[in-house]
Parts: sequence; C-alpha cells; structure tokens
Amino acid sequence: MAVAHATVLPFPGDESKVGLAEDERSKKMLGEFEYARAKTVKGGCALLAKAGGQGAVLAGGTDLLVTIRQGRASPVLLVDLKGVKGLLHLAVSPKVGATIGASVPMNAIVENRGIRSHYGALAEAAWTVGTYQVRHRATIAGNLCNASPAADTATPLLVLGAVLEVASPRGERELPVRDLFVDSKKTSLSFDEIVTAIRIPPVPSATRTAFLKQQRVRGHDLAILNMAGRYDPQTGDLQIAIGSCAKTPVLVPPLGLPVPPDAPIPELARRLEALAAQVTSPISDLRATAEYRRALIPVFLRRLLESLLLESDHREAIR
Amino acid sequence: MSEDKYRYVGQSVAREDGPEKATGAARYTHDLSFAGMLHAAILKSPHASAKIVRIDTTKAQAVPGVRAVLTGGALTYRLGIYLRDKQILANGIVRYQGEAVAAVAAETLDAARKAVSLIEVEYAPRPAVLDARQAMKKDAPLVHADLGSYDFMKGVFAPQPGTNIAHHQKIRAGNLEEGFRGSDLVHEASFMTAPVQHVPLETHAVIAQALPGGRTEVWTSSQSPYMVRHLLALTFGLPHQAIRVHVPYVGGGFGGKAGLHLEPLAIVLSRAAGGRPVKVVATREEEFNTLPSRQGLHSTIKIGVTQDGSIQALQATYVWDAGAYADYGVNVGRAAAYSGAGPYAIPHCAIDSYVVYTNKVFGTAYRGFGHLEVLWAVERAIDQVAHKLGMDPYEFRMKNLLKAGDRTITGETVTPGHGRPDLCLEAAAKEIGWGTQSVPSSDPRKVRGKGLACLHKAPAMPTYTSCSAIIKLDEDGGADVLVSGVDYGQGTYTTLRQIAAEELKIQIERVHVINDCDTAFTPYDWQTVASRFSFMGGNAVIEAAKDCLHQLKATAALALKVRPDEIDFQDGFALVATEPLRRVPYKDLALGYTFQNGSSVGGPVIGHGRYIATGLTHLDLATGQGRPAQFWTYGAHAVEIEVDTETGEVEVLKVATALDAGKVLNPLQCRGQVVGGVVQGLGSALWEGFLFSEDGRLQNGSFTDYKIPTSKDVPHEIVPIFIESPQPDGPYGARGLAEHPMISIPSAVGNALYNALKIDFDSIPITAERIQQGIAARSRA
Amino acid sequence: MSLHPIRLTVNGKPEEATVPAGMTLLEFLRERLFLTGAKEGCGAGECGACTVLLDGNPVTSCLVLAVEAAGREVRTVEGEAQEGDLSALQRAFIEEGAIQCGFCTPGMILSARALLTRNPDPTAAEIVEAIAGNLCRCTGYEAIVAAIHRAAKEERSRQ
Repeated sequence: MAVAHATVLPFPGDESKVGLAEDERSKKMLGEFEYARAKTVKGGCALLAKAGGQGAVLAGGTDLLVTIRQGRASPVLLVDLKGVKGLLHLAVSPKVGATIGASVPMNAIVENRGIRSHYGALAEAAWTVGTYQVRHRATIAGNLCNASPAADTATPLLVLGAVLEVASPRGERELPVRDLFVDSKKTSLSFDEIVTAIRIPPVPSATRTAFLKQQRVRGHDLAILNMAGRYDPQTGDLQIAIGSCAKTPVLVPPLGLPVPPDAPIPELARRLEALAAQVTSPISDLRATAEYRRALIPVFLRRLLESLLLESDHREAIR
Repeated sequence: MSEDKYRYVGQSVAREDGPEKATGAARYTHDLSFAGMLHAAILKSPHASAKIVRIDTTKAQAVPGVRAVLTGGALTYRLGIYLRDKQILANGIVRYQGEAVAAVAAETLDAARKAVSLIEVEYAPRPAVLDARQAMKKDAPLVHADLGSYDFMKGVFAPQPGTNIAHHQKIRAGNLEEGFRGSDLVHEASFMTAPVQHVPLETHAVIAQALPGGRTEVWTSSQSPYMVRHLLALTFGLPHQAIRVHVPYVGGGFGGKAGLHLEPLAIVLSRAAGGRPVKVVATREEEFNTLPSRQGLHSTIKIGVTQDGSIQALQATYVWDAGAYADYGVNVGRAAAYSGAGPYAIPHCAIDSYVVYTNKVFGTAYRGFGHLEVLWAVERAIDQVAHKLGMDPYEFRMKNLLKAGDRTITGETVTPGHGRPDLCLEAAAKEIGWGTQSVPSSDPRKVRGKGLACLHKAPAMPTYTSCSAIIKLDEDGGADVLVSGVDYGQGTYTTLRQIAAEELKIQIERVHVINDCDTAFTPYDWQTVASRFSFMGGNAVIEAAKDCLHQLKATAALALKVRPDEIDFQDGFALVATEPLRRVPYKDLALGYTFQNGSSVGGPVIGHGRYIATGLTHLDLATGQGRPAQFWTYGAHAVEIEVDTETGEVEVLKVATALDAGKVLNPLQCRGQVVGGVVQGLGSALWEGFLFSEDGRLQNGSFTDYKIPTSKDVPHEIVPIFIESPQPDGPYGARGLAEHPMISIPSAVGNALYNALKIDFDSIPITAERIQQGIAARSRA
Repeated sequence: MSLHPIRLTVNGKPEEATVPAGMTLLEFLRERLFLTGAKEGCGAGECGACTVLLDGNPVTSCLVLAVEAAGREVRTVEGEAQEGDLSALQRAFIEEGAIQCGFCTPGMILSARALLTRNPDPTAAEIVEAIAGNLCRCTGYEAIVAAIHRAAKEERSRQ
C-alpha cells in the first residue's frame, strides 16, 4: 500500500498549479460559471442584465445544474436569489388567495395546510416532482421557468388562473401563467426578468381541484401525461389543463356552458376530449408513444371528472 | 426448516462489516485516493459503426495538467475472457455508440474532461447492424471482419469467421423428429427480452499504478481479483506475480464487475503518465452506455406434447444479441443452452444457441447468466401449451418436472441429491392460493391474475473451477479467514464466518473474515459469480478449519501428553476427550505451545483448504452432452398481480418464491437475496430495457429514462420459502441461490398477465403502455 | 471561475474554506473534508446516494453548490453515531439485514434520520415515501423499511 506514495512529482512549470492554492483547487467542477448571491431582487435583475443573456437564476438547481452537467447549457453566471427574504414568503387565505414566493421549496407547498385545502391539485402536483430530497430544493418558479411541457405544477396553476409577479430593471409586471409558455423549454420572459412570486386568485369555497399524472414507475418519474382540473359545483365552472401532450402545458378550451354536478361523466368526458384535441398533439418520445398518450387522455378526463364532480376528497395524483 | 443442531450455521448472524457500512467508514474504490493520483476521462464514439479516419490529440495534450493522452492505435493489446476480440481503446474502427475511443489522465478531472473535449476525431460511419436476427443473415454487415484471426478458448467455443456468430452452442438429445411425430400437439412461439443494465449503485471504478519493471498494482471495484490478475497477465504478457489486485468494498456487481473492464485502460494511462496512479471512474452515463449490459435475446420455442400433457420434444432457437464484443456473452449462450429447456424431463431435445454480434453496447455476465432470458421463453411456452391442452399449468409442470432417475438434456442423471423442483412448485403455488381465483379488486377497472414459473440453474463455470481459503490463528486465539471471493453485498463473508466458527469450535466473535481481497495475501478464488462462492468457499473454509484443528491437535497432544486422537475441541479449547477439564486454550497453541521450562513445540497455526469442481466435463461441441453442472438449484415463483385495464399499470400483490437451498446457512441473508432478486427481476419484467435510436444510439442511458424499482415499486408481499433437501457435497448440505430469485420472475408475471387478461405478452419489459395497447387491440378485435 | 470563502457547520463542527463556484457540496464533503460516506451514484439527483441533511432537510448534495451551503448546517452519515456509539437506526440497519453492498446505506440512513426527526412514529407507507428517493439495487427495500420501523420504535421508547 505504501508503494503508492513514492510517485513522480508534478512536472515543473505546470500552469494548473500556479495561481491556485492547495485550499482553492478542486478536482471536479459541475460546470464553469461564476456565482453571485443577490441581496435584493433589484440586485438580481441587475446581475442578469449585466450577464446579457448568459446568466441564469439558480433556484433549487435541480433542473439547471443537471442541464449544465449534461452540457446542454453553459451559463456564465448563476444568480442565487435564495437569500432574498421576500422570496420565501408563503401566504394562503381563502379570501385573498395564495402568494408563493419564488424561492419557496416544493415540500413547503406539499405540506402547507392552506394549499392542500384550497388548492389541493397544486399540492398533489408538487408532491410528484422528483424525490423528497429534490423537493427540498426545487421551486415552483423553477419548475415553471424550466418550461417543460410535462412540468407538473403547470397544469394546476393554469386551471387556477395563477399569475406570476415578474421583476426586471424596467420595473414590475404581472404575467398570467398561461402566457408564460411559448414553446418546449422556452418562456416569454426576457433574460433579465425574474419571477418573484406566484399569485393564485381566491377560489369560491366549494371549489374542487384534482391532479393526475401518468408515470412509468411509482417512484419518481417525469410525466407521460399530466392533467389538472378545477370545478365549482355551485357555478358549474370547469377548467381542465393538460401537460405533456403539446409543446407547452395547455388549457382545454372551455365548454362554454356550466356543468351541473350530476352531469353524466362519460358524455362530458367525450365533449372535453374533442375540445382537448384542438390544443393537443401528442408525440411519441422515449417515455411513451403518441398512441398511448391519446389513449390516456379520455381515461384521465373521466377520472378527473369523477374526482371533481363526485367526491371532493377522492384524490389520486399518481395512477 | 430442520431443527438446528449447529451453533452458528443456520442462524441469522448479522454481517460483520455492518458498522463500517452504516457509518460511512467503508472505503470503496470510489473513495480511495493516493498521493500523486491522476484522474481519467474517456472519449466515446458517437457512432454505432464507423471507421476512425483521423484522431488528433494535439490540443488535448496542451491542456494544463494533462499527463497522458491515449488512442487505440498505440495499444495493440488484445482482450477477451473467452474470445479475444477487444482492445483497450477502439483501434481504427468503432463498433458501438459509447465505445471508448480515447482517454486522458490529468491532474484534475476537469482538466481530463476538457482535454477529451478537445480531441478531434474524424469518423466515416459504416452500415451498422442492430438486430441480432438481421446480423445472422448472409449479407449483414460484419461487426468483426477479422473474427477468424482472434484467439479463443478452443474446445469450448466455436466462433464462425465471416459471420457475426461468435459462438453456436448445440444441444442434441434423443431424436427431435421422432419426438414431434409422437406428439399430439405441437406449439411454437417466439419471445424477446430487451437488454438491461446491472445498475450497481457504485459504478465501475479502478485505480492502477504501473510500477518499475512491469510490476502493476490495481485497486478495483470487482467481483474477481484473480480473474482480473489473470487476464491482465495474459493481456500484457506479464507473469502473474507482477500484478497485484486489491478489491476494497464493492458497491454491487450483479455480474457486471465479473471480468476485466476499466483496469487495462487505467494501467496503460499510468504507464503513459510515468507511473503515476490513475483513477478511472465511470460516470452513471458511462455505466449505462460504455460499460457492458445484459444481452438481449430472441427465442423461438417449439414444444411437442401428448394429450395427457407429457412433453415429448422441445426445440429451442436462441439468438443472443451480444452487442459489439463477445466478453462473457459466448459463455452465457453456452450455459443458457444446456439449461435452456427448463427443469423438465424432455426425451427429445434440440437447442441451438447463437451468440451474435451487433453494433450495440456489449453484453456481459448478469445475475442469472442467461437463464432469466431463456426461461422467459420456456416458461411462457409451457403455460401456452398447457392452456392449449386445457390443462392446469401447475399440473402440467408437475407432470414433467425432473425427478430422480430422469436425465437432463445434456445426459446427466438426476439424483435425489439434486433437489426437489416439485416441492418448490408445490410450496409456491400453495402460498399464492393457486387453484382459487384472486379476490376481485373493489375497483371494477382492475383485474387480477396469478401465474407460476419454475426455474433451475447450475453454476456456469469451467470444469476446473477452484477456490481456496486460509485460516490463521491469532495470538489471542482468534481466527482470520482469508478468501478471494468477494462479498459485494450478498453476505458470503458472514456465511463463511459462521462456518469457520462452527468448524473451529470457537465463538463467532473471535472469527474475522478479511474484507479486502489482495492477490498478494488472500488465496485463489476463481470469481464471485455463478452462485458458487458459498458452496465452494464454504467447502474450502471447512477444509481449512479442519487443517487448523489438525495442527492444533498435534501440538495439544504434546502439551497435554496424550495421543492426538484423544484430543477434542470445544469453545476455543483443545481438551482431552475423556477428561475435558484437561485442556489448553487456542491462544496457547496458536503460535505453538511453550512448556513451563520454556521449551516450545508446534508453531503458528495456518490452515489451508481448497475445493475444486469435481466430475465436470466439457460439453460435446456437436451434441452438448456432458456434465456441466456441479449442482443444480431448483425453484419456483408464484405471482399475483393486479392490472389497471385503462392505463395498463401493473401492481404486484404477492410473490411467493420457493428455492431448494439444500441448507439455509443464514436465514436473514437468504431472505435478503430473495427479496432483492425478486425486485430486480420485476425490474426486468416491467420497467427495464435499453432503447436504441434507428442509428444505434442508446437513448435511455441515465436514470431519467432508465427506471429501476424504487421503494414504491415493490410488491405488497414477498414470501421466500426454502426447501431443504441436502446437497450431498455442499457445505452443511447447502447450494448456491444468489442468482435464482431473479430467474423466472418475468415468466411468472407474464403468465399471471395471461391469467388476468387472456393476452399473451411475448417480450419484456411488459410496460404499462404495452399492456394498455394490448387490451385496446383486443377490444377492437 | 469565482472563488468564495464559506463558513458552515458540518456534523456540529465549524468549517471554513474557499470554494470555486462550480464545486458541489458533495465534492466539498468528499474531497475537502474527506467525509466519503456520501457517494456519487449518478451526479444528477436521481439516486439519492449523495443525500446529506442541509439544515435538517435531506438533499441530493450533487445538485447543491458548496457555496450555497455557506452559513448552513450540514449533517452527513459520519455524524450519525454519537461518540463512537452506533445510533438505533444504524444498529437496526445492521440487525435487520438492511445493508448488503452498503453503497446506498449512508443516504438511506440520512433520509431515515430526517424522517424520524419530523415524524417519530411513521407508518410503513410514510417510511416508503421517505426513502423513495434513495435507490437500492441489492435489498429490494423490505429490510430497510423494517429497520427504520424498528429504530423508530426503539427511539420512541427511549424518549
């Protein structure tokens, strides 16, 4: 064993040893980038602006760092906003709605009583994102801004009519979630804009929500298909959103008529399927074929309607 | 289970390395670091088949911190455990996407990776062959145009130059035509298993140092230190003594770490870097894409039966998708052939097992060694033919299972000591409530079903396979056991510890099995594969312990002034059998005995034991007749599943697994092997399988899209059942069973799905999508 | 690449270092502090072998930058045993046969430790959920669930 210690010394003039002290060297970097911790939102925006499109917000890192490691992205600067106090705010009130700070981790959403009671589909969707470990880091803002068509928190937020609060060097604006997604992995945000919060409008107390996701395994997985729904039995208002069946998560066009709670579900599902077909075009990819996705859509619609119309506490996020 | 007359054997003794593993103190190759160590990165081929037109490493060499850059052209060493068709780095031609083309060793991993990214390679893509059946056709592109020039193990394997056939194993027993003529019903069906990866939690890792004078030292996450040493000696033309192999803790192997993998690369990098130690660690993506897999298999089974359910004839054609290199694949093709009719009495049998090259990542040993794959086909075909006869699959199997007096398809006569497949099937079926329908699910969309499957496997090993053990006694009377089999989780060191304590008649707390294998110190073992380490290691340890007692006896006789045959042993004492109070503790004998006046006799007690496979013969190359099996382990699974008929998802309610263990040496560990193997088997059955693009690139080479079972994917209940019909030559009557829990799990699941849905699935993995599409197709029909 | 001075607590002890931006917490723990219990199984947050506790919460340290751990409290498996005495969890793992190759064990133990801290009386389903992000290829998980259940019982009885 001692043999290994008697080895050739480093070559003289080796540049990699110059300029870096023993304490500063490391063997293996996840990527080559600068890191900056913003103290304020304004500061964060300024950093992103300065990076001129080559910067990225480091939220939980569970998408961004994986993408960097795979060589599919190489930002020059990571801007960490987790130290900005205002972004950790989480408040839920049935009258006012919910405000979820951009840095709130997924697990906080999963466990929040208010979210579970009033916006249950969001809690269920958040619960299916990655693993428990990942959910201590991942954020909803990150999940949305990654803009995968399969983003699990997107469909509940779409049916809930959520709005993003967005900050930039030019000030603040509001952006409905439905206007966020432009294409697969592409948002309508400009490079110097930061999502600071997700606001969910209040819902009538009778409102029910539901979320379904199809995975390959029961353990953590990306969605082959996901779907969320919102229903108010008193007004008959029904909203459905579908993920992983188009370039972005999409809202199913409205029925245009109130849906009574005793509406026959199979017929309702058929009508919704026809509407869904207008905004979805499932593809075949590694995870599933287009045929399977198309076959699952009516199944999920029926199951979602059963959850929404029949019982308010029958929930099953993963089939 | 039999009433135990042993103090330790048969007990659920906890593993000795538990504290080290539970505290993070256990050092795996991943964790080792030496002064001056360099880090390696690998450039992989993006093409499934291509000529390397030009490689330019100038820019790579200029990266600060780089100490060595190697390409295949400079390395003409030939590798291959049975057929030497591989080189350390691709040389002029790449044969699979993911193949290592160049490598860099540098001061930091970042420098190595940066250098790799600067290596310029010009490829001329060539036609690739991706389907093994296509690869067998006359005009298929040749993966190895030079197949005829390769060295290979003659008398055992038969590569066919000018083709993609690396080996063709034939079994011919009886007269097939006569068998089919005598059948009332002939059933034929085809099946497929997808290639999968072992997914050890610790990826392949090695550190090598090339020392002056050709001496080489290697630390490797491996299942076989002596095989590594042997193959390195052959590859580099060095005497065995010049190479020293250490195996620290290993984070899982499952067959994938059985042979030589990254070791040669680490060595040549070290040589090129002036003898500095070089560490090569596979990333998870490299583990999937560059390191080997389990071969895929296309099977056709034709089975002839009489109306009363008696098998007359079985013909099987197995076409193994070996990938780009033969590695262990040719032996898998051989071994699975001689097992390839299942544990049944079959008077007329013909099996042709072809191991075929394709331009994909190559296959190696994998838990089950081909048996899961062939028994997927056989056990499904058995169920299918039973259904055609209108016969209960349980009754059909019982009618045909091998029993004492029957002959196997290689001409071996089954003896009572072989074990009892019938008792296994009976126990598993009973546990699942075979014969009664499943209690229906409360959800009308879900359907339940039950399925059975049998299994058998013998260790697939050379006729000369051997094992040895050394036991040294310490000054304080403790005992150290040295073996070179590797405990990479299966728990054999604990078993050997129990056996040593039992045989030496000392407290188990005084016995220690040395955890690190080191070819300088721990004595020869063939490989830790094939479910033979407990069997052969156990026997070697028994002999070593007896040797210790023999030495102790001689010295104790002198000390106690009696004849050696009057000495007995108990609790760490040598005593006079007729006067047990006259005794000497081992500690006073371990280094010899000193009389009161100072004179000493005896000396350090070092016992050695060994075991060599007995009675095995080569298989006749034309007929496959011979005796390949040291022992057979039989078993059966019974599975109950529930299917969501709308989404196709399967939930496994219960798995009952019965194995004839001979003797359960450690119930906790045997249970661990069963539960772990069943879950791994379900992975193959339901979720795991490589997906390739049309141009042969692996698409799901990471955990994002290669899913293994998580804690949420396991069956509601797994019931291991151990039959104990003693193996006469096994230690305490034990047989190996490490691979067996995985074998035939997919078969049982496939049979259960047919029971539930009346749909035949012929390929695995049986994904939810396939099930849903199958149900949809059936309702359209 | 930017370098950042950080101060953090690891297993109750204060640590100070200067780290490059691109260094992960996993790399920092293993290479700088020589705490090799946390393992790299995939580098992408999928296998859980790199799980450590960050302010008490299990995270995949391969996806946490070392600089992000500044000012935080990190616990690794090396901090589980107290003064050389194995914890109830560690003993239960050993006795229940929940350890085979051991590579997933450090991460499993930390996920379990975090579970027992937030929920001292977990059901089997809650245990399964808590370790669902820790892959094991050897054991089939059953013995691990049993070990955590057993440790929970023992720790509750000692309260």
